[in-house]
Amino acid sequence: FRACSMSRVFFYFFEILKYILPETMPSYKLTYFDTQGFAEVSRQLFALSDTPFEDNRLPREEWPEYQKCTPFGKMPVLEVDGQKLPQSFAIARFLARKFGFAGKTEWEQAWVDALGDQFKDYLNAFLPFFRVAFGTATGDLEAMKKSDGEPIRDNFFGILEKQAKDNGSTGFLVGSSLTWIDLIVADHMGVVEYHLPHFLDGFPEVQRVRRNVIETPKIKEWLEKRPERPY
Amino acid sequence: NVVNVKISILIISFPNSLHPSIFSAMPAYKLYYFDIRGRGEVVRQVLALAGVEFEDIRLPRPSDGPQWAEFKSKTSFGQMPVLEIDGKQIPQAFAIVRFIASQHGLAGATPFEAAWVDAIADQWKDFHTEFSKYLFVKLGFREGNEDLLKAEHGFPSRDNFFPLIEQQLQETGSGFLVGDSVTWVDLLIAEAVQVIASAEPGFLDAFPEVLKHEQKIHSISRIKKWIESRPDQKR
Repeated sequence: FRACSMSRVFFYFFEILKYILPETMPSYKLTYFDTQGFAEVSRQLFALSDTPFEDNRLPREEWPEYQKCTPFGKMPVLEVDGQKLPQSFAIARFLARKFGFAGKTEWEQAWVDALGDQFKDYLNAFLPFFRVAFGTATGDLEAMKKSDGEPIRDNFFGILEKQAKDNGSTGFLVGSSLTWIDLIVADHMGVVEYHLPHFLDGFPEVQRVRRNVIETPKIKEWLEKRPERPY
Repeated sequence: NVVNVKISILIISFPNSLHPSIFSAMPAYKLYYFDIRGRGEVVRQVLALAGVEFEDIRLPRPSDGPQWAEFKSKTSFGQMPVLEIDGKQIPQAFAIVRFIASQHGLAGATPFEAAWVDAIADQWKDFHTEFSKYLFVKLGFREGNEDLLKAEHGFPSRDNFFPLIEQQLQETGSGFLVGDSVTWVDLLIAEAVQVIASAEPGFLDAFPEVLKHEQKIHSISRIKKWIESRPDQKR
């Protein structure tokens, strides 16, 4: 990371620019693989807020070299005026707070965070089955569906279903406007349903949240123009 | 008519509806977790550092009593820790910690610094998911081949994570992980280091800044007092 001197040059350039032009909007660059994955929520936050950003989709063969310039050896990495920030949820929360999609009160923000972390726990448990479903791992799909996929799904989506209902069936998981957890859940559901049609049919309130997200005009527009990848 | 809720370590049976805080004008903070350090310890420490009085409710393990089974259905996610403020719950340790820390200047001095606090914490979580495969066997909570797990999970996860923390401390130069004052991720990392270093002395000797950081954070007066007053547990 220390050897990445070019990013230092950009950093100092932007520091000087910020001094001269204090009202300049920060420049954003988001680097990730050419998939939705853990970067999609942040791309959608830029789209929702009409904030220009460089959507840097790294070809796989460039990853080993780029990895040396990342703070934690992973992607996504967000650069804000040349300053780097790793970890997908730290990035999403930072952007969401800036653009107004993190929850309107501290209490709502805590609940968005809690659902986000619960999603992460769920995904860690779900991925071994899901990788078999989308073909990047081998296994007995039907057996794993019964032993892992369905119970893990039911546990987490049961929580979401109750949350959506307790929140008034408004199409938002928390509060009365879109937050980054709505975006994450909607995106994940799209990926799951692409590979496992009808797998999430049993959760009507969460389906309502998903419809709400994908019908939001700026998200709809983004979904139409983004590169389509299987996950 | 304001009744002070003293910091107390109670092992109580459930329910407890006659808590004196019903007479209090201050919000009543109740933290529910098992009677271990685990994921709840950083929450307790943030509350202690912030000077927030709270009831430190420690439920016995499921094998030792019905309290968790009874309480579980009252939690939103079926998990602990849970922070209850005037009867309303927040689940998930990091969400709770960030909520408290943000209100007490312990979450980073700017939005970007707060994001870095979050990033280091999430990186720790990734580390812990891997490392605990070895640590929990080492500590005797699970069965397993200690030496094999150490080679497959213990060393690799340590050597992926702690160099990042070492470098981060070298870069800030302040003795803190982010910026120049204590944040909740300092408490998180120092707690983890204490657990690991006492489970296996010498295991982190290649990371002198990390070890210095643990000493520094645990000598902050409110944290020091908390550590002296808490039950003596390995994790």
